[in-house]
Amino acid sequence: MIQSSVLQDLLQRFVSSTPDIQGAALVSPDGLPISSILSAEMDEERTAAMSAAILSLGERIGQELARGLVERIFVEGEKGYSILISCGTEAVLLVLAGKAVKQGLLFLETKRLVAEIKPLLD
Amino acid sequence: MEILKIGITGTVGAGKTTFVRAISEIEVVDTERVARDETALIKTTTTVAFDFGRLTLNSGQILHLYGTPGQFRFDFMWDILIPNVHGYVFLVDTSRPQNFRASRRLLNYMKQKTQTPLIIGLTHTDCQGAWQPEDIALTLGLVDSNTRPPIIKVNATNSHSVAQCLILLVEQLLKTDFNVI
Repeated sequence: MIQSSVLQDLLQRFVSSTPDIQGAALVSPDGLPISSILSAEMDEERTAAMSAAILSLGERIGQELARGLVERIFVEGEKGYSILISCGTEAVLLVLAGKAVKQGLLFLETKRLVAEIKPLLD
Repeated sequence: MEILKIGITGTVGAGKTTFVRAISEIEVVDTERVARDETALIKTTTTVAFDFGRLTLNSGQILHLYGTPGQFRFDFMWDILIPNVHGYVFLVDTSRPQNFRASRRLLNYMKQKTQTPLIIGLTHTDCQGAWQPEDIALTLGLVDSNTRPPIIKVNATNSHSVAQCLILLVEQLLKTDFNVI
């Protein structure tokens, strides 16, 4: 059994590390919440389902339109970014960041977090 | 001729993905993921975005088929897909009475989102414990037999049966003041 408090702590630390990182959620590939640090107005269940849906479509594009293995899905909004990244076969990570974030740092921190989470899920 | 967009919806395990796969003339764009929720008791994978398939009728009319996810947590996908379809097939697994309440809730949800024609497709009718069409209609709240949508048995694994179901829906579309065809 995965220690959910360990995952929660990891996400908490990640979100607290940079002021421009505003939220993170770990969800199963079929769209169920595993662990999350999200602002109160975001529904965890819906967020999980949306994350799974968009990652599945992105991966489908990678496959059918010959883009290869999808590393991440990047949604750029007026107010900030959403990044979706596969965490092995068991989970998908969603990261929410503000517009002011430095993208290089964001990708690097996200990659590190994935590397920390992956062994916990295997 | 405008392309007709057809929604295929219903609760988990009703046969939506199977339905689209049975009839599509292109390789179906599906978004199946391993199921971890109670869905896993019924089947191993579940649709997390949509299934997309295409069918050309003898008349040359092209149908685009959009299969939805079945779980309520994917209601945002229903909101994206269903208001944009010309008509939809609502599938009900007749052999799983424990899902009828969810079916009724889902049907009411869809009816609030769109007024377009629909037909009820009854699946798993050859399974043990399958309910009769009349009883299903009542559990779905379709009490008045004069005003309710057509109800048809469909074998989602059989392309002929699926085709009949879709033809019935297209006929429904023609009956309304539908000016696309």
